[in-house]
Order: sequence, then C-alpha cells, then structure tokens
Amino acid sequence: MTRRAVGVLLFAFLVPATARFQPDLLDVLNEGVEVPVVPVSATFKDTRVVNVQSNETAASGVLHFVIAHRFGRLNEGAYALWGLDNASMRMAFDYGVTDRLQVGIGRSTLGKTLEASTKLRVLRQTTGGRTFPIGLTLFSSVFCDGLRWTEPERTNYFTSRLTFVHQAIFSRKFNDDLSLVLVPSLIHRNLVPTPEVEHDVVTVGLGGRYKLTSRFSLNGEFHPFVTGRPAGAQPSLSLGCDIETGGHVFQLHLTNSSGMFESAFLTETDGSWGNGDIYFGFNLSRVFTVRDR
Amino acid sequence: MKTPLFLVCAMLATAGSAQQFMTRAGSVSFHSSTPVEDISAANAQMSAVLNTADGGFAFQVPIRGFHFEKALMEEHFNENYMESEKFPNATFKGNVVGWSNAWADGKPHQVQAKGKLSVHGVEVERTIPATIQNKGGKWVIQARFEIPTKDHKISIPEVVREKIAASIPVTVNCTLDPR
Repeated sequence: MTRRAVGVLLFAFLVPATARFQPDLLDVLNEGVEVPVVPVSATFKDTRVVNVQSNETAASGVLHFVIAHRFGRLNEGAYALWGLDNASMRMAFDYGVTDRLQVGIGRSTLGKTLEASTKLRVLRQTTGGRTFPIGLTLFSSVFCDGLRWTEPERTNYFTSRLTFVHQAIFSRKFNDDLSLVLVPSLIHRNLVPTPEVEHDVVTVGLGGRYKLTSRFSLNGEFHPFVTGRPAGAQPSLSLGCDIETGGHVFQLHLTNSSGMFESAFLTETDGSWGNGDIYFGFNLSRVFTVRDR
Repeated sequence: MKTPLFLVCAMLATAGSAQQFMTRAGSVSFHSSTPVEDISAANAQMSAVLNTADGGFAFQVPIRGFHFEKALMEEHFNENYMESEKFPNATFKGNVVGWSNAWADGKPHQVQAKGKLSVHGVEVERTIPATIQNKGGKWVIQARFEIPTKDHKISIPEVVREKIAASIPVTVNCTLDPR
C-alpha cells in the first residue's frame, strides 16, 4: 500500500470521528433551507389612514364594516358645543373576495351619496428571501349624488350624478412604527357647475402613521392639488390617531374636510385650518369573518 | 485504486450521520380557551432533529407558519403578541434525559426533554414530558405542554385579557426520518 493510500484510509476513519463532534442541532435544522419570502403585513391598522385609502384591504372572506362621523366645526363655539351638535355620517361595507381584492359599498349623509368601489393589491412589499421595497394598491370608486335635482324642470341625466375616482396607493412600511403612502388621485366629475370648470382634478397626497405603542398610532395626511383645483377648494389636511382593541379599530381625528368619501374630501374641502374650520370625527371599524378561509 | 477508497470513505461518513433523525414537516398546534373566546392555531412547518448517539434534541417553529381561523387573529398574533418580524422562530434545544438505545424497541416510552425553550426571544429552561416511539426505523415524538405567556414577556393588554388564556397549551406531533 502506498503512503497516499494510507493517508486516504486514515482520512476515511477520521471523517466519521469528527462528525461525532456535533454541530449545533439548531444549525442542522437550518442547513440548506431557503429563506422564505414574507409579505409585509399590517402596514396600517385599517383600510384608511384617516380619510384616504391605505394599502390594506379586507382579508379573504372578511366583511369590514365602518361607521364614520364628522361633527361640526370647532369654531362654531360653545353654542354648538364646538361642533358636536351637528354630525354627518358615512356607513360602509367592504368585503375581501381574496386577500388581494376588495369590493365595497358605502353611503354618506353628505349629498346622500352612494358609492361602489374596488380595491386591488397589485404589488406587495416583501422581506425575507426576496425583498421588494414598496406595495402598490389600486383603488377605483364611483359616487352617485342622491340629492333631488335642484332644477327638476330641465332635462337631468342620471350620469350627471356620477363622479369617478381612481387612485394608485404606493406604500412602504419603513419599520414596525413608520409607514407612509403616496397617493396620486384622479377625480372625474361628470357634471360641473359652469362650463369653465374643469371636469378632472388631480391631487397627490401623502399619508402616514407612526406607532407609539403596539395598539396606538398617530396618523396624518395631506392632499395638495396638482391640476383642476376648484374655486375655493382647500387641500385636505387631517391629523389623528388609531386605537386598536381586538376586532375594532377606532380612528379619532381632526380634519378640515367634512366629507368622508374621496370625491368630497379631495375636491370639496372648503375649511381652512388657519380659521379654525376644523371638524372632529371618528371612524369605527369592525371585522366579521363571514366565509371560512 | 483511489476511487474505491473514496467510496469507503463516503460510506463510513454516512454511517456516522445516520444517528440523526429529522423532519421539516412536524405539526404544532395550540388552543387558548377562555369563557369568552376560544382561539386555536396550527402549524405544519415545524422542523426537529434527534441525535440518537447522545439524545440531543432540537426543534424550530416558524411563527408565521401558524394559521388561525380568523385573519385578524393571525395578524394580531404576529404583530402584537409574538412580534414575528423580530422573533421569527420559536426554538427548543436540549437533551432527552437519560437517553437509552434500548428505547428503540418499538414500544412507546415516556421521556423528558430538558433544555432551553425560546419563544418571543425569551429563553426559559424547561423540562418537557414527551412520548417517543420507534416505528419502522422512524422516531415518533408527541408532547403536550404549557407556555405561560408571562414567562416569555408576551404582553396581553387589559382589554383582551379575558379573551386570551394566560397559559397556552401546546401540542407537538412529529415523525423523524433517518437523515
């Protein structure tokens, strides 16, 4: 036997011997395991930041019910209990068809407006084995003004009641606490007050939340106009907080918008923070699991 | 001349590691029961390894692998309670006390696993009773034990305290194949 062969034989006996010096058993479990791709969850606690849509949708088979109120203006003073004597309301049902697709209906007292919407998560932010930095969610809604015609004697078309809103919601959860959305919105109004007024309005909004505890966060959003700003319209600015308690999320806020649906708060906000035209309000949401996952 | 020697070498090496038994598809479930609400979740992604040379034993459970009946429960479990972004796995590492190769007789044996249980990033020294049985060259391991949420610094706020049990019973079932 050559010296080399002896060397190989020695090696052969040494290998199982060294194998008995066990590596950490937990390392053994992770050997050759691919790091899974994990979609980032809970970027926001609810489907809205304050007024604007967040990237979140109702989970598959879940019915998400919202009751929202905006009281009167704080600057109405003590006689109207700083606005609390008046309230406008919105009720909505959103349903998760899948974990990515949500459909919804809503009704607001403002303008007796009925709405129908769809919301689709196109891209999800991910971590783990493959990281993707942002999420993209698309939202489209149609709003139907329900008020009686102010001039019933002229020819009024049903389509004149309709307004359409399309939004792209770019979202990023920077860390456990900070999440932001950038939301360009296109609002198309079928009927405008005079021929000079543009039918299309474009805004680009920024919204975010900062979590102070695992169940409490501060939220805010601002929607400056890009084109088609209606005369007298103010950009919508809202500040508030989310309080989560089990199956409910309470959102309390101050805003210069009395409308709680997209076409109203984006194009019809007339209050100014500087003048104290501030509405106190809340959104209260509750989820019901109506279909097994 | 060289090739057969390397073959021998490879065979001896594998003979050495056949002392390890392993799975990546063990199941873990838990059930929190209170008069107000029952919450259960199951996970089929547990991995476990047993070294029959010395009774060394370890398991690992990815927290995101737990699935609940309600989506919101799952979100809260990951976000608020287990903080699975920060602590993606629960692990146990230790030894089966008094390991004996005589246990490979095909009958079930009551044993105890002693070691460190890490849940929510907090390690606790535990002795966990389990049943092991060698079935056709595979090891079947079953265990039931409780995880007190307080021990692992899993905070449960006052408002939901009556909905979530303070100590959560956990069931583990796995079949370990030779590696």
